[in-house]
Amino acid sequence: MTELEAGRAQGLAPLRGGSVLQRYRDVLIALVAFAVLASLPLLTGSKALLDFVIRCSAYGLFATSLNLLVGYTGLTSFGHGMFFGLGAYSFGLIMQKLGVPIPVAFVATLAITAVIAAVIGAICVRLKEIYFAFVTLAFQMLIHSTILSWASFTGGDQGLRGGISRPVFLGIDLANHVHLYIASCALLILGLLGMRQIAQSPFGYTLRMIRDNAARASFLGIDVWRAKLTVFVLAALFAAMGGMVMALFVSGAYPEFAYWTISGEGIFINMLGGVSTFLGPMVGTVLLLLLNDTVTRFTEYHGIVLGVVILFFALGLRKGLLDFVAEWFSQRRDAGEGR
Amino acid sequence: MTRTRTPGISRRSTLALMGAGAMSVAAPWVARAQAKTIKIGMPTILSGRVAQLGTSSRNAVMLEVEKVNAAGGLAGRQIEMVIRDSKGQPQEAARVARELVNTDGCELLLDGEASSGSFAVHEVARDLGVLCIHTCSEASSLTADPKQHIPNAFRCVRQGIHDSIVGGSYAAAIAKTKGLKKWATCSPDYAYGRDTTGEFTLYLKRFAPDVEIISESWPKLFQPDYTEVVTKILQAKPQALYSCLWGGDLTSYIDQANIYAMFSQMEVFAVNMADYTALTVVKNLPKGIHSGNRYIKTFPTTPENAAWGDAYKAKYNEYPTNWSWQNATAVMFLAEAAKKANSVDGKKIAEALKGLTIKCPFGADGTVTMRGDDHTLVGYAIGWGTTIPQEPYVPEVKAGDWKTIFELEAEWKKSKGYT
Repeated sequence: MTELEAGRAQGLAPLRGGSVLQRYRDVLIALVAFAVLASLPLLTGSKALLDFVIRCSAYGLFATSLNLLVGYTGLTSFGHGMFFGLGAYSFGLIMQKLGVPIPVAFVATLAITAVIAAVIGAICVRLKEIYFAFVTLAFQMLIHSTILSWASFTGGDQGLRGGISRPVFLGIDLANHVHLYIASCALLILGLLGMRQIAQSPFGYTLRMIRDNAARASFLGIDVWRAKLTVFVLAALFAAMGGMVMALFVSGAYPEFAYWTISGEGIFINMLGGVSTFLGPMVGTVLLLLLNDTVTRFTEYHGIVLGVVILFFALGLRKGLLDFVAEWFSQRRDAGEGR
Repeated sequence: MTRTRTPGISRRSTLALMGAGAMSVAAPWVARAQAKTIKIGMPTILSGRVAQLGTSSRNAVMLEVEKVNAAGGLAGRQIEMVIRDSKGQPQEAARVARELVNTDGCELLLDGEASSGSFAVHEVARDLGVLCIHTCSEASSLTADPKQHIPNAFRCVRQGIHDSIVGGSYAAAIAKTKGLKKWATCSPDYAYGRDTTGEFTLYLKRFAPDVEIISESWPKLFQPDYTEVVTKILQAKPQALYSCLWGGDLTSYIDQANIYAMFSQMEVFAVNMADYTALTVVKNLPKGIHSGNRYIKTFPTTPENAAWGDAYKAKYNEYPTNWSWQNATAVMFLAEAAKKANSVDGKKIAEALKGLTIKCPFGADGTVTMRGDDHTLVGYAIGWGTTIPQEPYVPEVKAGDWKTIFELEAEWKKSKGYT
């Protein structure tokens, strides 16, 4: 063992122990967060608050999955919304046409999304930067146009009509508002936990290496294309989960779910919350929905307000909120330690 | 000692932030107004490309609500409207509708959404059981399809299928007298455009069997440049053209087609022309375009209708739109139904609304009816006429025959498997 290797092994040992601890800590935090969210209906009778959390779940899953691409892998996808729409439509169509139990539709939707994402991803991840962004956007518009023109199947621009039936499974009745709320929270927490595991795994660190220097990763023997494709498909699955939550919330699916504006909102959420911390997109989601809901209560000129907020974040903070907070804390701590 | 884990604090603070956010959202919503007023919620499109229509809906509702309130309110309770922007997005429309009922305490809903948004609000009504009157969505399936039917939702809107029947029979009569056999169509490429055009040509051919469609164009919705479409139609040399372009698309199309003198070369049937939003915006409105009535204060030719249009113009300094009369009618229906039921309870009003006939300035015979079996508006003024470049824009409108409409509508429903 050379000196260098010995040093590295020493350095790694506590880190590995720490990562196990951290893994359990993540699970613990997830459990606490779920317990807090699940107890909300006992504390407040506000249905609007529950609605708010359900929407946060849908958008939060979507935005965090986008961050797996943008923040961790450096793949700025402008078409991630297609998987949100795909999730909503697949789930809605399966429930309407086949009438299978909800868990079956859920798994089938994930399978469909995985196949489509693998095909689209195989084409897209070969490209870099702006070309990747444009091609993902092009695929999104392709899916959106397909939904619009295949009216006999998808209902065209009027969306999936007639509501999505929600047969009771395992004692869970998603037609009940509180049940739907708890299920959404569970999906959100499970989804976030899953994505956290991906981000903290060796694979997650491979992604960071690809983001920072793809050529080096390639020289180290990593199959960059395969890693990118894997994360593209994984991110699509979580986005589809978000889409399913949204489909359940509105009891339908609409072409707007697969339109580029949804992808735009995802990017915007990431800008608001920050891309260098795991929970940044979640913070961004809460911020955006809070802003949207409060501002639209008072004015129809919400575009101006949101525009000013973007300017504040882009020109004032120059980063997302959670990135800013994290940086501030670490600066303060460094200052404390330096003393 | 070195730290192995750095971002711990931020996560906790995140949760705290989320908690604080949740509390701040909840706080103002807990306090509900306990007043004697009755709140009516209305999601509609107040921003973006069709904001003008949403605004005109709000204007019309406020105009009528003032009258109802002055006359003592809805079964003795003053109406308070809570009108919010949905940006034309179905998920926002659903959210706003739920928020209006769950948080703002609205007991009734007027749904000022178009197309997909109205179906999203319809699902909210199904879920919450709140009385909902759709006031803007013309999609026939919303009420014709029995799968959509719920006891607490009604539609107070003109319908695509009615327009097609009247338009088809009107156009066929002209085709026969003028010998127009070669037709072209030019409509926006989405469900409304394709369905409406399909239904129009179906009834046109039914009344005038030797008509032939020789050219079809499907420009994209909100397409800025129509040169290609215009030249394609001119090359096909049809004798007549049908279009269901609307709003800004229709006015850009006419302005661009004017350059090629298209309107002197063929008869043009544009179902959505006779709407003040289009009529007043076109730079050189050609004479003699055939159009269905959207809202025009000269049809029906009654003093009540003219007075209503003038009152609206006096208050808002612009003419009402098609959405305006529909929303105004919905408020009239609510007022009458509440009077009949002597209650503002949604279920009782819904019972009272079924088959209710009210006096209305926009009725073909001075009355309109909320048909009982499919909860949709019938008997409204519907007709076609030709344009002139200045007010009153469409001096004479030939009224459609409701007896024919009912017959063909029943046949159409059967063909769709709705009955």
